[in-house]
Amino acid sequence: MQTSTSWRSFRMAAWLGWVIESNWTDPFLFAVYSIVKPLSGAAILVIMYGVITQGAYDSALFPYIYLGNAFYIYVGAVMTGVSWAVVDDRELYKTLKYMYIAPINIPIYLLGRGGARFIVGSIAVLITILTGVFFLNVNINLAEVNWGLFIVSLTLGIVMLALIGLMLAGFTLITARHEGFIGEAVAAALYIFSGAVFPLDVLPEWLRPIGYFMPTTYWLELLRRSLVGDVAQAFPTLSQFSNVEILGVMIGLSLLFSAASVWIFKVCDHIARENGMIDRTTNY
Amino acid sequence: MDNLNNPLTRPYSRKDTGVWLFLKTIVARAYPRIVGQQRELSWVFFEILLPMLAVCAYVFVYRALNAPEEYVGFVVMGGAMTAFWLNVLWSMSSQLYWEKQQGNLSLYIMAPNSMMAILLGMAVGGMFATVLRAVAVTLFGTFAFSVKFEVVSYLQLFAVFTLTMIALYGMGMMMASAFLLFGREAWHIANLAQEPIFLASGFYFPIKFLPFWAAAGASLLPLTLGMDAMRQLVFSSEFPIGFLDVATEIWILAGLSVLFLVASKYLLAYVEKLAVREGRITESRR
Amino acid sequence: MTTLAIETKDLGRIYKLRGSKKETRKELVALQDVNLTVNKGELFGLLGPNGAGKTTLIKILTTLLSPTSGWAKVAGADVQREPELVRPKINMVSGGESSGYGLLTVRENLWMFSQFYGVPSKEANERIEALLEMIGMKDRMHTKSSDLSTGLRQKMNIVRGFLTEPEVLFLDEPTLGLDVGAMRDVRKFVLEWLRANKERTLLLTTHYMMEADELCDRVAIINKGRVLACDTPTALKQRLQKDAIFEIQTSPLNGLSQQMLVDQPEVTKAAIVETETGAKLNLSLVEEAALARVINLFTQKDVKVLNLTKREPTLEDVFIDLVGRSMAEEEDSGQSE
Repeated sequence: MQTSTSWRSFRMAAWLGWVIESNWTDPFLFAVYSIVKPLSGAAILVIMYGVITQGAYDSALFPYIYLGNAFYIYVGAVMTGVSWAVVDDRELYKTLKYMYIAPINIPIYLLGRGGARFIVGSIAVLITILTGVFFLNVNINLAEVNWGLFIVSLTLGIVMLALIGLMLAGFTLITARHEGFIGEAVAAALYIFSGAVFPLDVLPEWLRPIGYFMPTTYWLELLRRSLVGDVAQAFPTLSQFSNVEILGVMIGLSLLFSAASVWIFKVCDHIARENGMIDRTTNY
Repeated sequence: MDNLNNPLTRPYSRKDTGVWLFLKTIVARAYPRIVGQQRELSWVFFEILLPMLAVCAYVFVYRALNAPEEYVGFVVMGGAMTAFWLNVLWSMSSQLYWEKQQGNLSLYIMAPNSMMAILLGMAVGGMFATVLRAVAVTLFGTFAFSVKFEVVSYLQLFAVFTLTMIALYGMGMMMASAFLLFGREAWHIANLAQEPIFLASGFYFPIKFLPFWAAAGASLLPLTLGMDAMRQLVFSSEFPIGFLDVATEIWILAGLSVLFLVASKYLLAYVEKLAVREGRITESRR
Repeated sequence: MTTLAIETKDLGRIYKLRGSKKETRKELVALQDVNLTVNKGELFGLLGPNGAGKTTLIKILTTLLSPTSGWAKVAGADVQREPELVRPKINMVSGGESSGYGLLTVRENLWMFSQFYGVPSKEANERIEALLEMIGMKDRMHTKSSDLSTGLRQKMNIVRGFLTEPEVLFLDEPTLGLDVGAMRDVRKFVLEWLRANKERTLLLTTHYMMEADELCDRVAIINKGRVLACDTPTALKQRLQKDAIFEIQTSPLNGLSQQMLVDQPEVTKAAIVETETGAKLNLSLVEEAALARVINLFTQKDVKVLNLTKREPTLEDVFIDLVGRSMAEEEDSGQSE
């Protein structure tokens, strides 16, 4: 019965999330949105890189930056997808209270709601990578891709991000709706500590431990290694660790973050119920 | 109790109209913003502290690329000016989408106040947080990354900043009319437009590195020329970093200010009429 | 200078509906050929089932929606061509509203809305206090509106409507969510407010027949976008006075249908509502003596009479007379369509 409730919650939430995310316009504009947004984000870095290095796209740093930025799209998308569902349901559609009194699992429901942004994010990631491969000399040889490592890392990473998103959903429950998306704000801040677009060695020494503590650092490293192998290992930061070791660290940190996220959500959920925040509107 | 002594039914001594009503409306609509921010302080973390870290990321990208130090200054300035852009887009223009969902929009339209005043009130109300974010990013960037500012002309810098703000908020009011009419579609388009605008406006690099016509087109966005001029005025560089000279950019910004303010007045009025005709003010499906 | 607060001529509104597939666009006629005049100082009621067009009419009169045909004037100004002249003179309160800002207190929310009408701050605050006291909310003046119950929020909205001293006030089911005491207080205040200034006008839409009967100078009955009748409650009821109206509670009807009753020559109108124990019938008869023949019909069908009351016609009866069924039945049929 427990499994059935969770699956029902997830399935219904995923469907609802997709309907909400996809029905705001016609398919053409939706396609434009899915293509233009990620490519513009990538273009900022590509131009920054091109300006400074005078177009040295053959350097090992370029695919490092490009792929890191491409997969980092997931961080913002998934965390926002899960956490923003609270704002959507509570303040916009005013249905959160009905979800709470329905026989569904709320954390699973919120995770399901994030599914749509995961799908949109996946489209963005794919388009960004394909653009890099076809137009910007990002050399991904399909025959040399470590597919097993790629799929395992990607899957574990998405689950990890979704659970961190749950933590942010908890914070969203007990805070007012402000200007921006909490998920994207956190993603933007984590950008500096994840080794997404520059190796952690660039950071001052006293900041590096934060980066080593982030599961996203290892996640991105594994994805780069699985896709471009040697290039990813050209940088010294994690080069002394094998794939298995990095995977092990990533799993360990992900479990830690996930456990913390679930606990924080529970605490925030309790605070929200205690203070009648489930159905309040905080628009100002 | 007779009419004049009854506090429930005594007529008001006056009801302001014209400029006074405009100003009253700005103050009244700014009030919930200002008070809301005092009563719920989580924005300090999510909208001041976190964005400071986001700016740092781009600084370190340049450091990783061994870029000249002035690029760090460009990023810090871009990060600071982002605050104003986000205030215009998400705290002003798109706010009408939330107001419609909540039922406030119909009350605003029905009242004798001006929609421009409502929007300005939203912007003014958010200004405290916006300025705080911009100052925090600037100070943090300056001290953490030893950014050096060498102001060429404070008068020109003040003129550029002021005109940029006027033009930016005028453009924001024009965008608000899209939210009035399209609701969710406008919301998503604004979301879509964020990265292209960051790219085209040169938030993180001078626009002179873009193809000429791309830079020229991007110059219609007030922040593009505003930041370009401000960079030329506050950073010294071994190489030219401006798209156009400062004086030309000031004139263009002045033109944009007038254009956007006038256009926003007429566009808001036109779109309001259109929305009333189509029944969009109170519908909740968009 | 016009003596009319509200005037409409051949007012109509058609909505274009969008189906889930873009090509399936339908039209909904929300209002058609609405001709109304409301005098200054009148408390005018608009009565009709859900979907009748009451809210659409109010939206047009409050400049939130354009008519697709005809015209309307409020406080002497055309709502479509001169909305800027209409708006300083009106206000509106809807039932179930959630306007305002949750982080602000009741007083702050009300003060904010008063400023949009140019009301001096000091006077606005005095009026806010007096109105909140009148409506029984003074002790909640400094409560954040997100902490209010639905009923208290509605009270706050009612205060918002009266606060700006409109010449014409539109109340769209304003007592939704209010307790009996608050409803009584609001009604009392409304009458006092109108009495204090003969130039003030109020247009009220309501489901509660009793409320319209008690408060309104005149009532318009609206259904499916058309005004079916418009007159004082007394005059409307007097249309049916010639008929004898009986309310009869019976055991289960055993196949006795509304058509069978109406087919009786002396029965002018019949409305049947099934209950748990049987049925409740509202019958309009040509003369009292015809009751005996109706009872005879019941006997033939083995229907027992549990209770029988003769009553004066109500606005509900007027509605049945005009539409052919009760407001509840009309709403149900609207839903099933």
